[in-house]
Amino acid sequence: MIELDQVSKTFSNEETGHLVQALQGVDLTVGENEFVCLLGPSGCGKSTLLNLVAGFERPTAGRLLFEGRPVRAAGPDRGVVFQDPTLFPWLTVAQNVDFGLRNLGLEAAVRKETVRHFVSLVGLSDFARARPHQLSGGMKQRVQLARVLALNPRALLMDEPFGALDAQTRDRLQDQLLDIWESHRTTVLFVTHNVEEAVYLADRVAVLAPAPDGIIADVPISIPRPRDRYSEEIREATMALIGVLADLPCCVLPSRRAGDTPSRAPVTTKPG
Amino acid sequence: MSSSPGSDRPAPDAFPQPIAPTAVGRRRGPALRLARRLLWPGGVTAIAALVIPLALWWGLSAFVMHLRHVAFPTPYETILRLMELVRGRLLNDATVYRHVADSLQRWALGFALAVGAGVSSGLLLGWSRLLERLSMPTVTVLQLVPGLAWIPVAILLFGIGERATVFMIAVTALAPIVINTTAGVKGVDELFIRAARMMGADDRTLFARVLLPGSLPHLLSGLRVGFANGWRVLVAGEMIVGTGTGLGYSIIQSRWTLDYAGAFVCIAIICAIGLLVERGILLPLERRTVERWGLARTG
Repeated sequence: MIELDQVSKTFSNEETGHLVQALQGVDLTVGENEFVCLLGPSGCGKSTLLNLVAGFERPTAGRLLFEGRPVRAAGPDRGVVFQDPTLFPWLTVAQNVDFGLRNLGLEAAVRKETVRHFVSLVGLSDFARARPHQLSGGMKQRVQLARVLALNPRALLMDEPFGALDAQTRDRLQDQLLDIWESHRTTVLFVTHNVEEAVYLADRVAVLAPAPDGIIADVPISIPRPRDRYSEEIREATMALIGVLADLPCCVLPSRRAGDTPSRAPVTTKPG
Repeated sequence: MSSSPGSDRPAPDAFPQPIAPTAVGRRRGPALRLARRLLWPGGVTAIAALVIPLALWWGLSAFVMHLRHVAFPTPYETILRLMELVRGRLLNDATVYRHVADSLQRWALGFALAVGAGVSSGLLLGWSRLLERLSMPTVTVLQLVPGLAWIPVAILLFGIGERATVFMIAVTALAPIVINTTAGVKGVDELFIRAARMMGADDRTLFARVLLPGSLPHLLSGLRVGFANGWRVLVAGEMIVGTGTGLGYSIIQSRWTLDYAGAFVCIAIICAIGLLVERGILLPLERRTVERWGLARTG
């Protein structure tokens, strides 16, 4: 479904000419209808990896396949849910959900029915005519989910979608996401730095370490669904993963001048 | 549009609203309290804002008459002349309505051309770094050319007549529209563009449904400045019109007819129409867009 083979991504800072190695030699495979969480400390390149799969960025080296074909550009077959709500403020909730459907060239009647279905699926029927700024953070994320689900994507790419929400809202949205996933099975690649979230949601957790390490652990979570987030099994799996993460350097982005030899030593420390 | 206290819609924040005495207010100095009490009814400020300039005008005309012995029209004489003209008396062989209509028509045509050219090129410049680097210096220079300096250019391009006037209005309105639209497009969040692409938007959809609405707050500011520029250059533009109508033309003609009160009426009408379009249409449009979308003004 999604295959990364020795994928690397280097950014160059336009002003300083410094090269930043965000990803180096990453291997990862996500199977059909699998729910994979990509877990790692901040600044280790999780979002970069997701942006590559989404087609927003191109890898500098390596092979990246989606359904057997190289990823060239972003498209509605890979629905992205961003951490920051990127709903268009000039459109209502319904119009935001309709945006992608219009691009598909569907008939107005079909579009209207699809919009209605997915807006009610995320429980926002009463807010169909509201504008994004009138919604809470959790509601905005639900609209983001609705607008990509409406396009019937082959995969959902979620970039810390609940990261900016309070704990209670996050729990509710996680359950809602799992409910929807049970009824509309798709492949999910879910980026998070929250260990409990990863264990609760995923079939498999891939732990990403800062370059040049790549994926350092690939842990299947075989706890049967529906899961109880307070159960002993979840707690144990969480503790085991925290142990893996504890060995990682935190918040580190190795950055070096063009031409320097790669080294493990972190040169700059980036916040957040 | 003035915010009279009796109007049915909530007054925009043009005038200080009555402020309840709070703990913070009480701690302030007595001078400030006095100032606030004086300003308290918004209407008083509004009236003062109208009366003070009129009084200054009156004083100036009396002063000039005393000093130079020329008939500098007073506000009263101007209003009398306005009444005459409104009742249909001719000014330079045409009614004041004809002058207003012709000026508005010229301005509307010039402004429409500027909006069409300015918005579309602004969208392109905002999108392409290369185009922006190539063209922005020219646009910036265009903005610095004084309105009157376009007269020889307009005459050389179009000869004397309507088209030269329309050209002058368009060319002075163009630069601020281009500059603001470009800034607006560049200010559209990269994530909006990514989201649109992810949902299958092609270039046309991206321009029409993301970049254009996304840059609208800036664009509307550009339209306001462009409108004001075009409207101001009307007088200069109508100096070179051969047809003999228009508010600007009438102002110039007062040099020969010595109908200075008539000229003052035309100046007042130009100001009034400008204020009406700016405050009655463009500013509310801008505010409504920004408020409705919950956008904070940036830049």
